[in-house]
Amino acid sequence: MPDGGPTGRHVLRGAITDQRRHVVAASLLGMGHQACEALVPVVVGVIIDDAVAKSSTDTLLRWLLVLAVLFLVLSTCYRTGARITEGVGERAAHRLRLDLGARVLDPRGGADADRLPGALTSIATNDARRVGSAVTVLSYGAAALAALAVSAVALLRISVPLGLLVLLGIPPLLWLGHRISGPLERRSETEQERAAHASGVAADLVAGLRVLKGMGAEPAAVSRYRRTSQDSLSAALRAARSRAGHEGAVLALTGVFIAVIGIVGAYLAMDGRISIGELVAAVGLAQFLLGPFQLLTYVNAEFAQGRASARRIAEVLAAPAAVEPGGAALPTPVAGRLRLRGVTLGTLRGIDLDFTPGTLTGVVTRDPAAARDLLLCLARESDPVEGVIELDGVALTGLDPDDVRRAVLVAAHDADLFETSLLDNVRAGKDAGVAELEPALTASAADDVAGLLPDGVDTVLAERGRSLSGGQRQRVALARALAADRPVLVLHDPTTAVDTVTESRIAARLREVRRGRTTVLVTTSPALLAVTDRVVVLDGGTVTANGRHAELVAGDEAYRAAVLA
Amino acid sequence: MSKDSAHSTATGTDGRSDDTMSHAGPADRALLPTATGAETLAALRALLRGHRLLAVTAVSVLVTGTGIGLLTAPLLGHVVDLVVEQKGSRALTVPLVLLVVVALARGAATAVGSALVARLGETVLAALRERFVERALHLPLERVEEAGSGDLVSRVTGDVSMIAKSVRQALPEFTRSAFTIVLTFVGLAVLDWRFLLAALLAMPVQVLAARWYLRRAAPVYAEHRVATGALQHQLLDSVGGVRTVRAFRLNGLHVDLVEQRSRTAVDLALRGIHVVTGFFSRLNLAEFIGLSGVLVTGFVLVENGSVSIGTATAAALYFHSLFNPVNAALFLLDDAQSAGASLARLVGVSDLAVPADTDGREVPVDGAVKVSSLDYAYVPGRPVLRDVDLEVAGGERIALVGASGAGKTTLAKLIAGVHRPSGGTITLGGADAGELGPAGMRRTVSLISQEIHVFAGPLADDLRLARPEASDDELRAALSKVDALSWVDALPDGLATVVGEGGHRLTVTQAQHLALARLVLADPPIAILDEATADAGSAGARLLETAALKALEGRTGLVVAHRLPQAATADRVVVLDGGRVVETGTHEELVTTGGRYAELWTAWSDSRPGIARRGNEDGD
Repeated sequence: MPDGGPTGRHVLRGAITDQRRHVVAASLLGMGHQACEALVPVVVGVIIDDAVAKSSTDTLLRWLLVLAVLFLVLSTCYRTGARITEGVGERAAHRLRLDLGARVLDPRGGADADRLPGALTSIATNDARRVGSAVTVLSYGAAALAALAVSAVALLRISVPLGLLVLLGIPPLLWLGHRISGPLERRSETEQERAAHASGVAADLVAGLRVLKGMGAEPAAVSRYRRTSQDSLSAALRAARSRAGHEGAVLALTGVFIAVIGIVGAYLAMDGRISIGELVAAVGLAQFLLGPFQLLTYVNAEFAQGRASARRIAEVLAAPAAVEPGGAALPTPVAGRLRLRGVTLGTLRGIDLDFTPGTLTGVVTRDPAAARDLLLCLARESDPVEGVIELDGVALTGLDPDDVRRAVLVAAHDADLFETSLLDNVRAGKDAGVAELEPALTASAADDVAGLLPDGVDTVLAERGRSLSGGQRQRVALARALAADRPVLVLHDPTTAVDTVTESRIAARLREVRRGRTTVLVTTSPALLAVTDRVVVLDGGTVTANGRHAELVAGDEAYRAAVLA
Repeated sequence: MSKDSAHSTATGTDGRSDDTMSHAGPADRALLPTATGAETLAALRALLRGHRLLAVTAVSVLVTGTGIGLLTAPLLGHVVDLVVEQKGSRALTVPLVLLVVVALARGAATAVGSALVARLGETVLAALRERFVERALHLPLERVEEAGSGDLVSRVTGDVSMIAKSVRQALPEFTRSAFTIVLTFVGLAVLDWRFLLAALLAMPVQVLAARWYLRRAAPVYAEHRVATGALQHQLLDSVGGVRTVRAFRLNGLHVDLVEQRSRTAVDLALRGIHVVTGFFSRLNLAEFIGLSGVLVTGFVLVENGSVSIGTATAAALYFHSLFNPVNAALFLLDDAQSAGASLARLVGVSDLAVPADTDGREVPVDGAVKVSSLDYAYVPGRPVLRDVDLEVAGGERIALVGASGAGKTTLAKLIAGVHRPSGGTITLGGADAGELGPAGMRRTVSLISQEIHVFAGPLADDLRLARPEASDDELRAALSKVDALSWVDALPDGLATVVGEGGHRLTVTQAQHLALARLVLADPPIAILDEATADAGSAGARLLETAALKALEGRTGLVVAHRLPQAATADRVVVLDGGRVVETGTHEELVTTGGRYAELWTAWSDSRPGIARRGNEDGD
């Protein structure tokens, strides 16, 4: 096991052993079900032989009773077994989903690097479901084997040559079918993917409806969709032809096989080596046996898919952490002194910075990458390659990342809102009432946003807060950052989409609401910089200027260009 | 029988969880229309009308194939009779050859028939989805917003794929099963009509079981779809916002949310499985009744000499081979029901009248915009714009300024023709906006909104939406005009790079660059930019402002300005407050007059000591 993380095999095995009792129970029931299914044609044969041919009412009634019991048992076994095994699969998928969720959201990070949210969501839904299916089909596999065993015994008891013919004939038959259909199926799959393209394009066009309408591109979009749809149509037709050919071939092969069994059985019956009823049973069993064999093929395919999915899940679960927790404890209470010494990460080249407790500091950089790297290491999403960042004298790397965030909040410029009420977004998991959040709502002018919404602060926001305008989103995100009330708050460009008047109001109140705690503003907005105690300028990965905003504006041409353009 | 039901259960519920219709809109929304049963059938008939020959051929081939296949059982019965009568092994040659011929013919007919059914289904499906998308894209934006955009999105994704799935998987299997059932019944009747009666004994149980199933399954599946949609949504919400989750230490909360949603989905899936398994075990009872009936009938008929043992055998084999098709057909009833519901939702939109896409009676002569006594209210009684008058000369650049909620965006949308005024008139280039016609309107005015969307596909295709016939050189010229060519050339495949959903991810600034390039390509005399630079962050905003100025060269521009330098460089500034125009004039005039705009300017320039004058002079 490399680096202690699970492999695909561990994931799959774990999903099975977690519920082995259920898997065993479902397998036994499935075996019972399939065995009874196999016996149905045998009983039909006996009825033809002993009752119909001999005109014996007693025998008929007796065997009909046997048939009834057979159906009762097979039905009960099927129902119970299927419920257990499908439940096993669903629960396995559920557990994997939770493991994945916990890993991705883990404070140590690392699992979300280089993976899009859509891809991770697909792993947590589709791949988890496929591993669940792989666990589910185990009992179907066991059941199919049971059916094969029972049929084999029945057939060999009827006639050894006939039994061998059926049992040895089916695998090459399926192999032949597979050889014929394999390439067809593969082609059909690629064509189907292309066919699915049309719906993707349609959804994309509808998602961009406002943009289309804005530039009057509806006719262009319609004709583009028509072309895609027609391409998809020809792909779908090719796929359907392949599939139809496959079905026809399998049907023809099966039909020929059953004909051969019937005729060989007939020869044996003419020689008096088997009875009529046994002939009927043999034909019925040959017909029936295709089912379990197909089931085995299906189980095999599901299992292969499940293995691939388990591998993808394991990769996420085993992703190395972005930052490792240290053993030090968070100082209590946190004074909020941040000290950077020789910090190098990405575009940052040996930065020294001091943020004294209770001050409001501006950080100005024209390079978005430098801002991003600074925020990453202050949030402990990444650790500096060189240098050290200390909080009240304790190195951040010595702390648990979750503890760091208890003291330091880094509010990203594009911070995400969640699909819940405005108030719950601002509350962010805290148990706070409206009154407690009032200062944050007012300072960020989010109270004005709430005033325009149908249910005020209780209005549920759309995903990512898309029901709000950019400026409104920023104000709610800022309210949330202020409400968290951390000893250290780092804000990145919190007001870029907010109108000038509101921005000035926010700037004025920001100082007040953060009084006595450390605040860092990474921005080039002069309105915000004007209320800071001090401004630090980063350029080319190092600190190039340091002073009050007004002094820098007056005396630093580069600063003026960066801030006032 | 249930040997197949095992995978049907597994794959059936699997397939369902893919069609997520996540946007279950609030109940009080005016959702888009859904067709009635009669309208849906009429639409389906109209779609099939052009393919009558294909439909007839497909059905005939399938019926022939199935009919040939049914010869197997009587041939085997005949073999039994030959054995009973001890005809000698030579007599078996003919039935052997016939059985092989039947198998091959049946295979061939099935292949051809299935392909034809698929052709019919896919062709109709393509016509349906094209018609639907055309109507959907021409729906007035107001109507879409009224219904919530989720309504349209779920129809275009969930419903279309539900129908496609039915056409691809359910339709061929259902057709084959149905023909097999019907023709097997015919076959039983040919053997002896009393066998048919015996087989039909199973039917009441099947009907009851199917009714039981449909009543219970449909609501559970619908709930399950909603629940898997909600789960997927939650995962995207939590995973997409993972950095925020970590920053605010919301990990526990979000893991709990995922657990709740997942548990709900699992519980519903298990309820669905409960219903399906209950259904199949009820069908087992029907199988037993029918099989016993056929066997008893065979017993009686053989005893009184009406049929041979071979015939009785054939009847029993017939009925035994019915187990799978009957189960499949009844199980697919549920798919048919869902597909019907989806179809009604598509036809509901497809049947809406499309406004004729024509030129109007008037043609604009220049880029002048005249707005007089304009009123607008999204909700009656709550006006957003009141008595707005505005005149813009051709080629003039106007900045619309005001606090959030002042009505800037609404005014922009009205001029762009996205909304219709509640009162007052808008003339574009001297022509009444209402008289330009949709095509004329499109050529006259473009709106770039804050809404950012990069259309999935090659970047060149995204641009060509604005001008489909544009050559690569024209595309490059447009990109170069808005300073975007350098980064486009730096993309892995340049203009051919696949962007948007599932492709190369562009930044907000790049996406808006593309929007501006599309504006240059569309080349309308009037352009409206609404908050087009707001989301890009401060550095990106300045880049885009420069690009916007270049894109606006030579046309009338209305710019909703957030950053005051943008307003300062405009030819004229219009200040909106509470839905009214409160000030109009050049930047200098308004600053000197000392009104609302001067206040804003002071607020802005206070934070920029010593620069206010300069910004004004440099124009940058």
